[in-house]
Amino acid sequence: MSESIFDRLQKKLDVQKHEEGISAGDIAELPPALRKIMRMMLREVELTYKAICAAMDEMPAPDRMNRQELDQALETLTSQNWLIRRGEGEGVNYMVNLRRKAGSSLGLNFWDSLDEKIATNKKDAPPE
Amino acid sequence: MGKIISVHSFRGGTGKSNMTANLAAQAALRGKRAAIVDTDIQSPGIHVLFGLDETRMGHTLNEFLRGECAIQDVAYPVGSTAGGEGVQQLRDKFLWLIPSSINGREISRVVKTGYDVGILNKGLSGLLKELKLDYLFIDTHPGLNEETLLSIAISDGLIIILRPDQQDFQGTAVTVDIARGLDVPNLFLVVNKALTRYDFAEMKQTVEKTYGAPVAGILPLSEEMADLGSADLFSLCFPDHPWSKTLREIAQMVLAV
Repeated sequence: MSESIFDRLQKKLDVQKHEEGISAGDIAELPPALRKIMRMMLREVELTYKAICAAMDEMPAPDRMNRQELDQALETLTSQNWLIRRGEGEGVNYMVNLRRKAGSSLGLNFWDSLDEKIATNKKDAPPE
Repeated sequence: MGKIISVHSFRGGTGKSNMTANLAAQAALRGKRAAIVDTDIQSPGIHVLFGLDETRMGHTLNEFLRGECAIQDVAYPVGSTAGGEGVQQLRDKFLWLIPSSINGREISRVVKTGYDVGILNKGLSGLLKELKLDYLFIDTHPGLNEETLLSIAISDGLIIILRPDQQDFQGTAVTVDIARGLDVPNLFLVVNKALTRYDFAEMKQTVEKTYGAPVAGILPLSEEMADLGSADLFSLCFPDHPWSKTLREIAQMVLAV
């Protein structure tokens, strides 16, 4: 069966969302429980579900989440594409999806001219 | 696992790079494995303190961010090929510098195209593991940008440097708020370039009360420091100077995180 226009649009939106990811500034705005997980994931970059549970168990009591709360938090972060889930069952792991730092909004001509100018200056500079 | 210590100031010219380099050097002198990353990609400068210039730099953070080399390939062992008398004292220690490029075209390239912040994060985490670091010091860009916020978010300790100046006071409040929003576990304030005629004890009390965070030290404005002009590591060249003594006290406090 061929893809409908809606399927294609949905795919495009999914790709865009994935590319967006989360920024460190966004993390500061998260509720404390989600922020805790994101900070841990930032440090570790990639963790298995088992390792996340183990890290959670080692947290001080006031910061700790039970399994249900943790699963719910991971689901929220994954649905926003701030965490990426890979694998299935026992082997499932999570990695943080940080948003790319955008380039300058100045026109490309500006940068091309600057590049050219720097290269020319270097060529014309007297030897040290 | 190693600790990440970020050094930040809201405004430029506070002595942030000097502080970072000297703190990392003190960690190395205490037998710790330490590295410094220059995440001030737009205006790098900390390499100067270690005697590096464009011709002596090998790979840079910029190349790593483009996927052209591994992060450990960028790590320059401090004192191995360059540096003044102070830096040379670190020759047989475990201290690395991860410099950003000082090449104009490289800087304009990264500003023009942006970069993958996830790669920077993987690089910082990779450094801790690959170099088996006790401490990773991050010299940040002044103000708040993407790499600075990331550095703060992943830190075990954040040092915010300010001068006794009204503009610094207001800007520091912004950074303190952000750090609290990101749950940084250890926050330290350092006042730098304080005139020696000030009452340091009173200043410490006022700053701590204003921001609700501990002042790790107040460093005096020093003519000798200005005279050295970032040509070397001050605390190693002038170990008996009051600036160096306070710096060592700050190191003691920060390295305990």
